[in-house]
Amino acid sequence: MTRTAVRYTAAKIAELGKDNIPSELLSGHGLVYSSPATLAYNSPGAEGFGVKRAGLSVPESVMLIVSPGCCGRNTSIVSSMPQYKDRFFYLMMDETDLVTGRHLKRIPDAVCEVVSHLEKKGNKPRVVMICITCVDALLGTDMERVCSACERALNDETRVRPCYMYALTREGRRPPMVHVRQTLYSLLEPMEKDPRSVNIIGNFAPLEDGELQKMLFAAGVKHIRQISTCSTYEEFLKMASANFNIVTNPEVRAAAHDMSQRLGIPYIELTRVHDVKRTALQYRSFANAAGMEFDFSAEEAEAEKAVISLKEAYPGLTFNIGECLNADPFELALSLARYGFGVDEIYGTLAPEKFKYVSKLAELSPDTKIYCNMDPTMLYYDVSDSKAHISLGKDAAFYCPEIPNIAWNSDIQPFGFQGITKLMNEINKTMKEARA
Amino acid sequence: MKGLRKVLTPFAPDQSGAVSVLYGLGGLIVIIDAGGCTGNICGFDEPRWSDVRSAVFSAGLRDMDAILGRDKLLVSKIASALERIDASFVALVGTPVPATIATDYKALKRMIENETGIPVLTIATDGMKLYDDGEALAYKALFENFRSGEGDLKEIVLGKTPLTYGDGSLSVTLDDIRNIGPDTKITASSSSGIEAAKSLGRPYEIFSSKASELASKIPSGKVLVCHDEVFGKTLRDAGIKCDIATYFALHDEIKETGDVKITEEDEFTELVMNGGYDVIVADECLKPLAEGFEGQWIDAPFFALSGRR
Repeated sequence: MTRTAVRYTAAKIAELGKDNIPSELLSGHGLVYSSPATLAYNSPGAEGFGVKRAGLSVPESVMLIVSPGCCGRNTSIVSSMPQYKDRFFYLMMDETDLVTGRHLKRIPDAVCEVVSHLEKKGNKPRVVMICITCVDALLGTDMERVCSACERALNDETRVRPCYMYALTREGRRPPMVHVRQTLYSLLEPMEKDPRSVNIIGNFAPLEDGELQKMLFAAGVKHIRQISTCSTYEEFLKMASANFNIVTNPEVRAAAHDMSQRLGIPYIELTRVHDVKRTALQYRSFANAAGMEFDFSAEEAEAEKAVISLKEAYPGLTFNIGECLNADPFELALSLARYGFGVDEIYGTLAPEKFKYVSKLAELSPDTKIYCNMDPTMLYYDVSDSKAHISLGKDAAFYCPEIPNIAWNSDIQPFGFQGITKLMNEINKTMKEARA
Repeated sequence: MKGLRKVLTPFAPDQSGAVSVLYGLGGLIVIIDAGGCTGNICGFDEPRWSDVRSAVFSAGLRDMDAILGRDKLLVSKIASALERIDASFVALVGTPVPATIATDYKALKRMIENETGIPVLTIATDGMKLYDDGEALAYKALFENFRSGEGDLKEIVLGKTPLTYGDGSLSVTLDDIRNIGPDTKITASSSSGIEAAKSLGRPYEIFSSKASELASKIPSGKVLVCHDEVFGKTLRDAGIKCDIATYFALHDEIKETGDVKITEEDEFTELVMNGGYDVIVADECLKPLAEGFEGQWIDAPFFALSGRR
């Protein structure tokens, strides 16, 4: 029998409605295929940020992973990167630990030994993150209490915080990547506000230096801080002095809310979109809300020019889009369709909150095929049906090895007009090279 | 401190070992986890994943599935997948999650076989033991379910998986297992191979092709080999006088005076400090544990130990 990967057209999904998205397209409804995108989420290595790498975003921090050996297995990839040398440590759990919970009593000693070991090397950490996994989620371990015990055992200013690598809670209210962001910013203590300071929060690598920062500086902001650009722990702590936070990733919303409650820092959310008009609209709304004036006419014109240039060079250009990229694949597909490009296939994981993009996409490109990266039938995916000229996203390269690809997945985050311009120019360049 | 790692990253776990034996045999392999264990296996420990697609899936367990013990949900997920995927058997591979909630594998096996009519292998790995354990369990499950004992297979090599052999691994097929007969020559090429060969109850040879290739490059002197036990024994059989240290199993039939099974980082350090060795044959990842060693280090990459191919 010929087996095929399950797919639905945008039109069919729109017809079924937000409350009836086929289960094959949703997360958490069946066995899970290990597609490149699933692996990037479940086992991020040197690229992208999982809980382990994210937990070490705070400068001068180290991590003790307390778990069965299997949970820390792939960390050797990250450990080999220079910036993570001497920053990962492991306390291995065995079967007796699982039954008796005795490992919890050993954690303070292990933390003290790690700190002492690093102090002897002249690298005493300011923060120790204790990463625990599914086992302790099920055992109901009170990690706040364990961390307090560690701080008492250290008896100095070293802070100890829990990092929950609970894959079991992926679709929960606080999935691991939401929780880890809350943990990071929980280290900030209230301090005097600096009206000229702003934080950009959301990602673990900086937002590309672009028009957003330029506009903020032009409006009188003196300090723009991001966790990834803080070189010392002291500098990181100054994030507590911000007048407001700019949220660029919905996964940091809970942390932003915590900061507004605990530190009195309000937040405003900006979404990464790839439609020039919507980007301009968003900046105008932001300027109004912040009481600032932004002039982005030059950047807007440049983005428009880049789109037109690509359309003129490659009319009818058709894309396949994956989800291992610095974009929401459904939003990106909609923006490209609005520009008049074709979108043949999307490899993503649909969620009710993304339905708005698919329903609009259905009006412009009803035949766009949508596959779910998690569905077991992706084992049988066959690209030969696709008529795309280029693919976007690192995972899309796996599915479409014969056409040019732009991974678009750098740690540095593209944003706004500058992001659109750069993506359009990159597509233009890649197509030119492919057809040369 | 016992269990604390300051230099080495965790070694390949039992669940990776189980999958390395079952990979490509035509079964539907279900790792009973939330996704992270499968990610570590397919994304790190299983080099064939990027070249040859195989039906290895995560059960996609969520917290309430584990807390409430929703075995029926898992059975229905597997049955649903089998409607759309070809498989000659189902293999359930354990992780810390089923170990924590004490999953009843026998019951799961019965439920899935009743629902689908396809044979089910259960491998009770728990992520806390090492890969050689998992490989041995997988071989045992295969023999119990598929070996008739009356086949005419000439030779079978057990334990030559990517975790010990890297790119030089050799897959065993389901037909090989079915055709093991009274005259089949059995070779144990790693620790798990010894365990598997023993369970067949037949004479077997112990030989590592990887070690054999290296034998001529080892200078004379007092030699310490820290690798898989079969690797060490093969060097010894080739005339290299050496002590064997291993982080994995050390069977009595290999162990000689001076050989040792180690667990902690410090144990290797002490061995090097006090052993008076001229030559160490081991993966380079162990070098930071041997500060002050002035002899010759012969690198012997060991994927299960370091993740180096």
